[in-house]
Amino acid sequence: MRKLLTSKWFIVVMAVLLILTAIILGMLPGSPLGKVLKPVGAIASPVQKSIKNIGNNVADFWAAINDGVAIREENAQLREEIAQLEYELTQNEEASIRYEELQDAFHIRDTFSNYEIYGASVLSREADEWFSSIRIGLGNVDGIYLASGDSYAVVDVRMNLIGRVIDINEADSEILPLLHEGFVVSAKVNAVNGAGMIVRGDASLKLEGLCLVTDIDENTVLVPGTEIVTSGDGGLFPQGIPIGVIESVDDSNPLIITATLRPYADVAGLNDVFVMVPFSVIEEQQANIDAGLPPVATSSSDEEEE
Amino acid sequence: MRRPALIRMIIVYVVYTLLICCFQVSFSQVMTFKGQVADLMLIYTVVVSYFYGFLDGAIVGISVGLLRDFFAAPAVTITGGKIVPSVGIGILVMFLASAIASSFFTKRMRRNSLFSLVAVAVVTLLYKVSGHIIIGIWTRAVMHKGYNLTLAQIIFESILPQILLNIVCAIPVILLLRYLGPYRKGINPRFNSESELENNLWLKI
Repeated sequence: MRKLLTSKWFIVVMAVLLILTAIILGMLPGSPLGKVLKPVGAIASPVQKSIKNIGNNVADFWAAINDGVAIREENAQLREEIAQLEYELTQNEEASIRYEELQDAFHIRDTFSNYEIYGASVLSREADEWFSSIRIGLGNVDGIYLASGDSYAVVDVRMNLIGRVIDINEADSEILPLLHEGFVVSAKVNAVNGAGMIVRGDASLKLEGLCLVTDIDENTVLVPGTEIVTSGDGGLFPQGIPIGVIESVDDSNPLIITATLRPYADVAGLNDVFVMVPFSVIEEQQANIDAGLPPVATSSSDEEEE
Repeated sequence: MRRPALIRMIIVYVVYTLLICCFQVSFSQVMTFKGQVADLMLIYTVVVSYFYGFLDGAIVGISVGLLRDFFAAPAVTITGGKIVPSVGIGILVMFLASAIASSFFTKRMRRNSLFSLVAVAVVTLLYKVSGHIIIGIWTRAVMHKGYNLTLAQIIFESILPQILLNIVCAIPVILLLRYLGPYRKGINPRFNSESELENNLWLKI
């Protein structure tokens, strides 16, 4: 018996069973096991930030040495561009005033006017093709909370869709990237009354950096290069966020037309992202805080309500 | 083990574990090949386990797994289509990798440095194959979708690039652990008492 208890493979089997139990329990709503990683973060986060900063500084220094001549040429080009842009700016100022007047007159709303935009830097990226969530430096301390079953859109500096927030911790959040096979977004062709469709991550296409487009109406004319944006259906994402362009269309079966989409966003080169939170959600959370309640309903209280 | 050696061992393991994990999740884009990212965490766990045994490997594996879950938790689709970041899968993967690597012909091959590359390749292969099988089953059972990767795609676009990348990236990790590792002379003193040192000396590099 003692020999069995000290056997390496017995210990391995017991440990595996224990870890599997923890994984299953951790997936249950409201499980405290999710907080196990909190102390890990207290040590690992500052170290990782320092290493990232050192790496970036070394890369910048190296780039500064290598790119000296190129930077000088680029500088000259940029000066010309600035002069051109200053001219265009003066032209556009007048157009802007007129647009605002029209906006008031016709009650036009800006696409994203109902959203508060929170900027955050990318803290860590995927570890491999399966450990693929992205961590960003935006958390409860920044006044952002996530209710169970809710999510927020994440975009890059050009407002292209990156993914969505799946978890918000004290000082960081986790993002499900666009290419992940669990990602689904309602989309449409970027035109007035553009045809609707569904853009989703796909295990096979992920390897090529592409997404799958399904639920395409048979009367929709899709050609490579067609721009696809979020449709706003479902309420999770605002309407009009650029997703990418159609790469290819498979209409061999007219009843099940599919297409592949190349996202605009380059997740590998990301440094900063923006999280879009509806003002209505912020107001609701603030009202809860003012009333002495938790900003979002916890999973256990959800269950009670059900 | 004497106290200074123990302190040195702990410091080296802590520093390497943090450095390697942080490096991978911060600069993964510089270690890619055909869409795959070099898995420094897996390599490190395998090499430590292969060189220094199950106890060291298991502790390092669990620590690396914890960090893996913290930095890049896998998003898992559960019933109802809800996606949650999971806790524990990284720990499980790294612990199993350490258990396998610590028994991977370590006595027969005398923990030979070159053979550790084979250990890295085999554990990577096992990890990728079991990963595809589990995700395939999960996708069908829970997400009610087909796992549409073909066998050719799995082999040529997932497994082979990952093995190649891991073998290449294992070389600096092996050198680091062998010559600047947690133990002087690159040998765990616990093994001195093992009879394995008596035999197969020709295999030692």
